[in-house]
Amino acid sequence: MHKLFQVLLACIIILLSFNLFAAASDEVDTSSDDFKTTAYEDEIYDPLEGVNRAIFGFNNVADKVILEPVAKGYKNLPSPLQTGISNFLNNLKLPLAAVNQLLQGQGKNAAESTGRFFVNSTVGIFGLVDVADNIGLEQKEEDFGQTLATWGVGDGFYIVLPLFGPSNLRDTTGMVMTMMTDPVNAYAVNQGEAWAIPMRTAANAIDQRSQIIDEVNALRDNSVDYYAAVRSSYYQNRKAAIMNTDDDVLTPLPLISIEFE
Amino acid sequence: MRLIKIFSIFFIFFVNQESYAKEAKSWLKKEIDIIISAYQNTNLPNENKFLMIEQTINNNFAGTGIAKFVAGKSWKSASKDTKLEYIKLFKRHLALNIASMMQGYSNQNYKLTNSNYDEKNKVTLIDMEIFSDTGSIQVTWRVKKSKDRFFVIDLLVADISLVVTKRSEFNSMLKTVDYNLEELNYKLLAQNELSFKKLIN
Repeated sequence: MHKLFQVLLACIIILLSFNLFAAASDEVDTSSDDFKTTAYEDEIYDPLEGVNRAIFGFNNVADKVILEPVAKGYKNLPSPLQTGISNFLNNLKLPLAAVNQLLQGQGKNAAESTGRFFVNSTVGIFGLVDVADNIGLEQKEEDFGQTLATWGVGDGFYIVLPLFGPSNLRDTTGMVMTMMTDPVNAYAVNQGEAWAIPMRTAANAIDQRSQIIDEVNALRDNSVDYYAAVRSSYYQNRKAAIMNTDDDVLTPLPLISIEFE
Repeated sequence: MRLIKIFSIFFIFFVNQESYAKEAKSWLKKEIDIIISAYQNTNLPNENKFLMIEQTINNNFAGTGIAKFVAGKSWKSASKDTKLEYIKLFKRHLALNIASMMQGYSNQNYKLTNSNYDEKNKVTLIDMEIFSDTGSIQVTWRVKKSKDRFFVIDLLVADISLVVTKRSEFNSMLKTVDYNLEELNYKLLAQNELSFKKLIN
């Protein structure tokens, strides 16, 4: 009798839970439009949105108060000097880019990056002059985040890192791997010049920020939700970088039709 | 003989596609030059510059189609008046976004590099390279032909689509107000006023 009661109770619980799940799925509101979208925004998993928005707010203030003014000042330097600094910083990224290209099975690109590094570091005076570009060795960037993506690792959830900005679980892991394995950083530590690492990071940030002053301002000044606009931009940009293909293939074509009023 | 026929068909097909892409490219160059010349006209007050640019954008962008796409699932449940108000506000929003971005490029040289016709989506993709002293930035225009003229349906800056970004941004806001388009209209109106002030000052 006691056993029968237990079985009955278990059955009731199972039936009830099925009902509960069914009721919950019935409550999910859908429309036909949902199924013909590019699903970009649906793919962005952001369970930490509240915390992310707070960090984003802090980063935004830091950008307005520190990074943007410094980047604008940098932009006023003579352009050959800016180009030289940019080339020098980009050249330092090449050893790790070559490693990531190899890990992604891009033998030709890895050879090109290695060639670029040697040509620019020697003939190009420590990378200040991009001689390699003139002989057809183009700059192609790859990082550990892209490598992990190529190996099938998913994005994970969206994270806004203090000062470093938008990222996701996979790309943050990639960033940590970059910090730990970068041969240039390792060399600096080995030589007792670890101070050079944050300097390099800051210089990179200023150089990159200086190249997108107008774009960032246009986005910031014209967004109903700047956080969401940056989040979407980050994902589109990373997707493009991971796929290494032309932009006509990268971004799905919005299914819109032309209408006339 | 049969081989020649097949070859001819392919040849005509590719020549057609190429001339189509070229036609779109020369049309786009004309329209971009109108926007840039408006910016470079020092005699025009900023407000008039924007109104000129807005008119060019409204004439050449598929504004209503983009607005509908960007509104996502909030579109269906909205009333006719709300939809009309939203389209009007969205068009201004689009113009402000593009004008603000083009303002930064107005003193730089640009070149329309590639133009390709995407047969599958019936869209022409036109690449534009904007040069500065220290580098260049790539912009891709997506152009569609309808009723014998071209319309821009999207703009991609460094692989980031303006339309996809706007849709994601609006969706994030709409989610918090149960996909009520009227609520978005209030926000859009306020944002447009703010953006307009920043642009003309």
